[in-house]
Amino acid sequence: MNFRANNPLWNHGSERCRDLRETRKRLREMEGEPEKWILMVTARTPTNIAVIKYWGKRDETLILPINDSISVTLDPNHLCTTTTVSVSPSFDRDRMWLNGKEISLQGGRFQSCLREIRARAQDLEDKKKGIKIKKEDWQKLHLHIASYNNFPTAAGLASSAAGLACLVFSLAKLMNLKEDNSQLSAIARQGSGSACRSLYGGFVKWIMGKEDDGSDSLAVQLADEKHWDELVIIIAVVSARQKETSSTSGMHDSVETSALIQHRAKEVVPKRIVQMEDAIQNRDFPSFARLACTDSNQFHAVCLDTYPPIFYMNDTSHRIISCVEKWNRAEGTPQVAYTFDAGPNAVMIARDRKTASLLLQRLLYNFPPQSDTNLDSYIIGDKSILEDAGIKDMKDVEALTPPPEVKDNILPTQKSKGDVSYFICTRPGGGPVVLSDETQALLDPLTGLPK
Amino acid sequence: MGSESEKWILMVTARTPTNIAVIKYWGKRDETLILPINDSISVTLDPSHLCTTTTVSVSPSFHQDRMWLNGKEISLEGGRFQSCLREIRGRAQDVEDKKKGINIKKEDWQKLHLHIASYNNFPTAAGLASSAAGLACLVFSLAKLMNLKEDNSQLSAIARQGSGSACRSLYGGFVKWVMGKEDNGSDSFAVQLADEKHWDELVIIIGVVSARQKETSSTSGMRDTVETSALIQHRAKEVVPKRIVQMEDAIQNRDFPSFARLACTDSNQFHAVCLDTYPPIFYMNDTSHRIISCVEKWNRAEVTPQVAYTFDAGPNAVMIARNRKTAALLLQRLLYNFPPESDTDVANYIIGDKSILKDAGIKDMKDVEALTPPPEVKDNIPPTQKSKGDVNYFICTRPGGGPVVLSDETQALLDPITGLPK
Repeated sequence: MNFRANNPLWNHGSERCRDLRETRKRLREMEGEPEKWILMVTARTPTNIAVIKYWGKRDETLILPINDSISVTLDPNHLCTTTTVSVSPSFDRDRMWLNGKEISLQGGRFQSCLREIRARAQDLEDKKKGIKIKKEDWQKLHLHIASYNNFPTAAGLASSAAGLACLVFSLAKLMNLKEDNSQLSAIARQGSGSACRSLYGGFVKWIMGKEDDGSDSLAVQLADEKHWDELVIIIAVVSARQKETSSTSGMHDSVETSALIQHRAKEVVPKRIVQMEDAIQNRDFPSFARLACTDSNQFHAVCLDTYPPIFYMNDTSHRIISCVEKWNRAEGTPQVAYTFDAGPNAVMIARDRKTASLLLQRLLYNFPPQSDTNLDSYIIGDKSILEDAGIKDMKDVEALTPPPEVKDNILPTQKSKGDVSYFICTRPGGGPVVLSDETQALLDPLTGLPK
Repeated sequence: MGSESEKWILMVTARTPTNIAVIKYWGKRDETLILPINDSISVTLDPSHLCTTTTVSVSPSFHQDRMWLNGKEISLEGGRFQSCLREIRGRAQDVEDKKKGINIKKEDWQKLHLHIASYNNFPTAAGLASSAAGLACLVFSLAKLMNLKEDNSQLSAIARQGSGSACRSLYGGFVKWVMGKEDNGSDSFAVQLADEKHWDELVIIIGVVSARQKETSSTSGMRDTVETSALIQHRAKEVVPKRIVQMEDAIQNRDFPSFARLACTDSNQFHAVCLDTYPPIFYMNDTSHRIISCVEKWNRAEVTPQVAYTFDAGPNAVMIARNRKTAALLLQRLLYNFPPESDTDVANYIIGDKSILKDAGIKDMKDVEALTPPPEVKDNIPPTQKSKGDVNYFICTRPGGGPVVLSDETQALLDPITGLPK
């Protein structure tokens, strides 16, 4: 390996360059051909959906929010990011691949995370491979990172939250950090606000914190994924006809121009946070539903109160809400909660499996697929809900009758086929895990490049 | 009186405009008296294009109060009609028509019955606030018939009890509905901020959007909002009072950028508060949003806003352009983005003041199809992506005058001999 030619640092007669030479000398003194060793960790992280929303920062660089938020972590079996991080003296720069495509790590958010993690790196010894890394070595070693989302990025399903959380979690494992998941969440937070909530499973709260340096702005677990495991989550991926406003610029505009957002942040959300924590603790579904729906609606209200106004929900989103609201009110007690993030997708939370299958019938009745669709690709994730709903193929969908609470049969011509691209059935799920099975690694253990 | 006096009929016909709020009324502090939780400001629309015409008549030969709306008989039993009738009868004066030999003493009015016919020259289903114009016209014409001494502000306090927004139709130009403090509503009425000549270069274009579903009524909607929205009191107490002052200044000074900013943000905040209601209320739809995007894009591409937009409790867009030239440019953009179905006659697609169409250089559908993308739109929208027919039609109008009596008897809606609709 020709360090002189390939290493730009070699041309600087600086102390840093000297340190690098000393480090490499020490590493070469290890057994075998130490310059070629590669250390790898693979982890899998879930995504999450906020039920009390984060929208608006008080600090753009540290990503500190203007209010607390609470989320539900989704089952990583259905939606997750898998990330392999690797380190080797043979890597000459930090590189990252997302879904097979190389991306830049130069942005402030990636740099913040890398910096924060490297600063907390510890000594690491892999006796089997004969690798010994001192904590100060990490500053000079480069990383190769490959990440993969098992759901489409364009679907508006918060891939950046899962992705950043996975990056932070896997690097923390690689560099042997002592910090717990809450402390790691404070690092992930600097990459993406909602990412900090993906450091835990179940129900998670992102505490806004008071300190200017953000040291007390982190995620804590309210309850794990077993606490309320009869909940079923159905996501409707709605066809988005136009490019959406990014969350970052959108919430920035809201803070600057909305006359309602400070009242929301200071007066409304604090009360809802307390009520939502109680609802989760007590498995009080009616309260949970009321709080989730009204907070989602208020978030979108604040977007509308922004100048220029931001419209994340569209007519299909509204029709889904109407469908759920009609059923909830017909039953007397809410059956389904809904919530929408910065896009038209609906996340519906049913109180149990039976309710979920009744919901799915209503959704398929109101939002049938195009006639030539394979039902198997229209409902993905946990397909057993489809069985519970008694639906095997398109004939069963076409045979669906109007639900009791709908007074008039919607003419088939009025139902807009294809308004929903597909549905995902899932449930609350667990937090980040290390995957010890090497076949799941996304990088080749010998080259350090994507498989 | 002369013989056969029981058969005499006294009639008055009046015409009243409708209005569009630019600082919105949404939420009551008293449901019976219709007292709002904040002030509101509106622009009165030109009655040549949008108006209600009402003929009211009285005769000893009438057995009961009756009313016909657009030719169909309707009930006057509802609380709002009864409030208006009661309040006006309570203030009726002596009336003498020497020519016809009629002499009515003020106390007679309580025992005399009325026939009323009303007609809107725009479709009721179009969500164009026909009840505001209708109630205002009823009150105004009855006040003329019964010779009330009250001025239009005092009449607006009566109209208010029929329909909140009706009170603002008692004046032309720019009108403010003062919310008042009193519990009995005696100080809650409309005043004129400026007449229709004050800022007459403004041009108003209304996009009547196809409504796919039945909308939530304003009355129940605003009640749900007051009961369930966590944001509405903050709006009413903190936000609107400041905007009212700023809007009055903007109107006074003909400051279009401020006018536009206030109108757009207040319309959006009204809809935000509807979304913050439980269950949520969606008045605007995707077409409404696309109209807003079209206007916002253009406004931001120009140094200063060209067009203000506002939406009421429905998907229709009311756009206010700063002058005729801007209105023509706006119309080109609207027709480019929202063309009619291919077989439409352009003369039915743009109604009201059609001269704007001429200014825009558009004579027929060929001219519409030949329209090119505006400069601020980077990509040409393929014709297949434009949804034809999302807008039913456009109305071009302007700020206009207040209620007037129509002295031409041929415009009366009731037969002067039978007292029944013509």
